[in-house]
Amino acid sequence: MHILINIAAIFFLVMGLVFFLGGAVGIIRMPDFYSRLHPAGKLDTLGIFAMVTGLVIFNLHHFSLETLLLSIKMFLIVFFVFLASPTATHSIVDAGMRAGLRPWTQKKKKE
Amino acid sequence: MKFFGFVIVCLTGGLLLYGTMDLPDWGDPGSPASTHLSDYYIEHIVEETQVPNLVTAVLADYRGYDTMFETAVVFCAGLACFLLLRDFRPKKDRYFRHVPTGVMLHFKNPQTRLIAGNEFEHMDKDWVPSDMIIKTVCRILIPFIQIYALYVVAHGDFSPGGGFQGGVIFGSSLILMAISYNLKTLVKRVTEKFLSVFAALGVLIYVGLGVAAMLMGGHFLDYGMLAPLLPSDPGHIRALGMLGVEIGVGIAVMAVMVIIYINIVSEGRHDEGL
Repeated sequence: MHILINIAAIFFLVMGLVFFLGGAVGIIRMPDFYSRLHPAGKLDTLGIFAMVTGLVIFNLHHFSLETLLLSIKMFLIVFFVFLASPTATHSIVDAGMRAGLRPWTQKKKKE
Repeated sequence: MKFFGFVIVCLTGGLLLYGTMDLPDWGDPGSPASTHLSDYYIEHIVEETQVPNLVTAVLADYRGYDTMFETAVVFCAGLACFLLLRDFRPKKDRYFRHVPTGVMLHFKNPQTRLIAGNEFEHMDKDWVPSDMIIKTVCRILIPFIQIYALYVVAHGDFSPGGGFQGGVIFGSSLILMAISYNLKTLVKRVTEKFLSVFAALGVLIYVGLGVAAMLMGGHFLDYGMLAPLLPSDPGHIRALGMLGVEIGVGIAVMAVMVIIYINIVSEGRHDEGL
């Protein structure tokens, strides 16, 4: 039983790391401001979700009221990140558009 | 010139690195930092104060003077911002938006009045379109941020946290309100008088607890002497005193954060900005 829980926890933690890595690579590789915000906003949110899920599963090793309460608090973090992170990305994109930054297109690169 | 700067940077870095050679190793039990007071703190704090968080105990009890004057410094920062930036002259130009249609109104005459309500809302000169997503999410999040700030203040003696951190979180929730709506919304709810009184009240709570301890016959900030005033068992009284001090610090930091923000973004006019 313990081995199964460990495997599940490790699986989710590695999944979160993969998402974070993808986000970091995306921020470097993407061509312009808006497309860079895409990995920053989405993959970080999903990465945090996966990592906290892994930690929650690991935390529930010894099932009791205390660990359950801690797990609920951890999921609260995920809930608020899910609300706040896309909103922050949205407002940054909004500010960029209002400041007059043009999105990147393929044509521009050929010139 | 660039080469000259590079040489200076290299020299300074080299000197700093040379200086670190004399520092004790990390975690060295024989280093000066861990030979005199640290042992005493680690051995005696829990039995003397019944506070499990040693950092809070050292900060708010053993080094109470230090933290008290830190709070006073924060208060002085807010006061200096107010004295330097506050500008009481009203602005001539005012903007309103008709909410259902989005039509903008520009008032050049300061005498004309328009009551902002459900149909008209104040607008800043730097025109910001009303964004429903940001407003809604901030409206949902702000109460939770404030509850979390109170949690951080109240848990100062049991887990990481305390007055400074909680005050900053509470202040940033109010600043978030000013960013997501506009500055007028914040100033209408949290008036300048309220903020000034609370900034002073926070410091007053801290100093008042110290003076109360003095009046009860102890030293300044000797919370153990407050035992007859508070309904609690005498062993736990120092933790309660620390909690009171943390609440004072939190109130002062919260008020000063918002005072500084409002004064800077509106250039001291408290009407519009950011």
